[in-house]
Amino acid sequence: MRNPLLRPRALVAAGTAALLALSAAACGDSGESDADLTWWHIQNQDPLMSTWQEFADDFEAANDLTIDVQPIENQAFKDRMGTAAQSGDVPDIFHTWGGGVLAEQVEAGLVQDLTGKLDCIDQINPIALEPYTIDGKLYGMPFDAGVVGFWYNMDLFAEAGITQPPATWTEFLAAVEALKAADITPIALAGADKWPGHYYWTYLAMRTVGLDGLAAAAEAGDFSGDGFVQAGQMVADLAALEPFQPGFESAVYGEADGQSAIMGEGLAAMELMGQWAPQAQRDNSGTEGPENLGFFPFPTVEGGTGTATEFLGGGNGYAVAADAPDEALDFLCNFMEPENYSRAITEGNLTPVAADPASVAPEMNEDTQKVVDALASATGTQLYLDQAYPPAIGGVINDATEGLLLGQLTPEDFVAMVNEAWAAEG
Amino acid sequence: MTLKEPLRDSPVAGTLSTFIVPGLMLFLLFVILPVLFAAYVSFFRWNGLGGVPTEFVGLENFQALLKDEVFLGDLWRLGLIVVLSLLVQLPLSFGLAMLLHQRFPGRTAFRLLFFVPYVLTEAVTAVLFRLVFSPRRGFADSLLGSLGIDAQIGWLSDRNIIMFVVFGILTWKFFGFHMILFLAGRQNIPDELYEAAAIDGATRGQAFRNITLPLMGPTARMIVFLSVIGAVQLFDLVYVLTGGGPFHASETLAITMYEQGFQRNQIGYASALSIAMFLISLVFALLYQRYVLNRDLQGSITASGGTRS
Repeated sequence: MRNPLLRPRALVAAGTAALLALSAAACGDSGESDADLTWWHIQNQDPLMSTWQEFADDFEAANDLTIDVQPIENQAFKDRMGTAAQSGDVPDIFHTWGGGVLAEQVEAGLVQDLTGKLDCIDQINPIALEPYTIDGKLYGMPFDAGVVGFWYNMDLFAEAGITQPPATWTEFLAAVEALKAADITPIALAGADKWPGHYYWTYLAMRTVGLDGLAAAAEAGDFSGDGFVQAGQMVADLAALEPFQPGFESAVYGEADGQSAIMGEGLAAMELMGQWAPQAQRDNSGTEGPENLGFFPFPTVEGGTGTATEFLGGGNGYAVAADAPDEALDFLCNFMEPENYSRAITEGNLTPVAADPASVAPEMNEDTQKVVDALASATGTQLYLDQAYPPAIGGVINDATEGLLLGQLTPEDFVAMVNEAWAAEG
Repeated sequence: MTLKEPLRDSPVAGTLSTFIVPGLMLFLLFVILPVLFAAYVSFFRWNGLGGVPTEFVGLENFQALLKDEVFLGDLWRLGLIVVLSLLVQLPLSFGLAMLLHQRFPGRTAFRLLFFVPYVLTEAVTAVLFRLVFSPRRGFADSLLGSLGIDAQIGWLSDRNIIMFVVFGILTWKFFGFHMILFLAGRQNIPDELYEAAAIDGATRGQAFRNITLPLMGPTARMIVFLSVIGAVQLFDLVYVLTGGGPFHASETLAITMYEQGFQRNQIGYASALSIAMFLISLVFALLYQRYVLNRDLQGSITASGGTRS
């Protein structure tokens, strides 16, 4: 063997190697499956995960097609959706909260205009469609809508001698003090997730400057008003009372020892959370949740223009990719089939978006009923800011609220950061 | 085939290109091209959606980067990790390697045991330590509790100690790997040198200082290189463990890049950051190779060059 490199053999070897590498690369590039429809949703925990899977199975059988169902955890979903949107290839049906994030996807031409295409749209309360309506066109179908408010453990409140849920911020701070005095952790908070924290700043801003003030600030990209600085100061003042569970800085929302699990186990007296909170408390703690769970709207701020009936809220819905087949639309309406929808509401404790809630859910779970009542009394709603605004700004608000809560930023820093983000975006 | 005989006929151009071209193609396609694309995008404000970037902003992204406290903090934390690694982790691995080089019963078991953490993926390690450091039922607090220390240490939630906790986990994960490298380096030192030293009347301490230390040099320099590059790229472990929090206290360059790029859709800015990371690694690698690894590499280069001239 004088010449180890016999040329033909070397050629074959090199060629095979190259082929292997290329085919490996080709396999790696797409998350797409061979199914007729791909569906990304965030109901990644039972009972709804199984219900959703069954809906898909039934629809597959009835229409002779295949659906690739991917239940993804909330935060992971946002990350994956971001990458999918950037690659220009989104799933046929995907979860959406509407607002600025959806608007950005619409602008990129990734989302199908659903106006006039959904036969079932009449069954849905028009108010619930608002977050998904951009420039007069509908880009998503909600299956749930609700509001954020304080879910509180009535027994713990009673233990601390609080007879009435606080209606004003002063009363609220007094309640926090009373709970602390009774050696009860007043508030559960997932500090590491950031979005649960941003509800506090948003609500306080809604109470100080009102919904109109907030809309005007977003319009002008200027949050320098006194009301916003005041809201920031109030978040900082609340944090200074140390009302949160130990280690909240690294806690996340949905996992063992996370915000909802702590509420579920009755270790904290309240949390500021949306309509899904009672279900999440049970799911994440593996318990039946607090025996007596109450709900009260975010307190009003003395001297502020906002009222207690203005709610921060939003819902969950599905959007359809621009290039999705028509079956995707049928699949959406399949949710709204009365028997399916009422099953989802019963099993998953969703808050119905039906135009006539009583028709699909004659006997609602009492927690759900509280949210439905709150929604019925609402004089105005604001979508979660991290969804309502473009991601670059929503991200800054989430991040800066964490800074306020941990005492790393002043209210003035906060306002400056948000203004800067708006300026850069504009 | 005889080893002594130098290669008489130099490889033909055809053979060379047959072997180099496929690799080169892949390298161009998946490494060079993305780097160039990132460099291009870093001059734009771009949310990554819908077609090519159009809003040219010049050096704005880089200027913003230099004023970004999170980025500057990332650099500081990078420095901290590197310094701690060099001062704590590497000496520890070195010491253990020296110990495990001795003959004693069960040393294979120890070698295996120390290497196990390295086999775990970083994400699994992070999940594991999230449980260990969980504020309520975590093993760490329970252990302290059973020792009579009833301290609620916010392992992952205290901004002042989080970097040391992260460093501790990094050490736990990587000391075994470095130890194995040191061990391999130590085993490459011929015993004759120690025998000769012993005959000349050298004490064990002298032998260690004059034989072991200098001959372990190349290994140590290589490990330092790997450590630094690893620190620049640190992502999975910290991201799963803390997400970079609380409030950026444990954030790394790669996490900042990820958050800006994929969560806030600021692809232009994230690209500028990735270019900065690239430059940091590149400059370090070049300088290190030029001034530190130079001696170690020379041996191998002169050997092949020597036979040819």
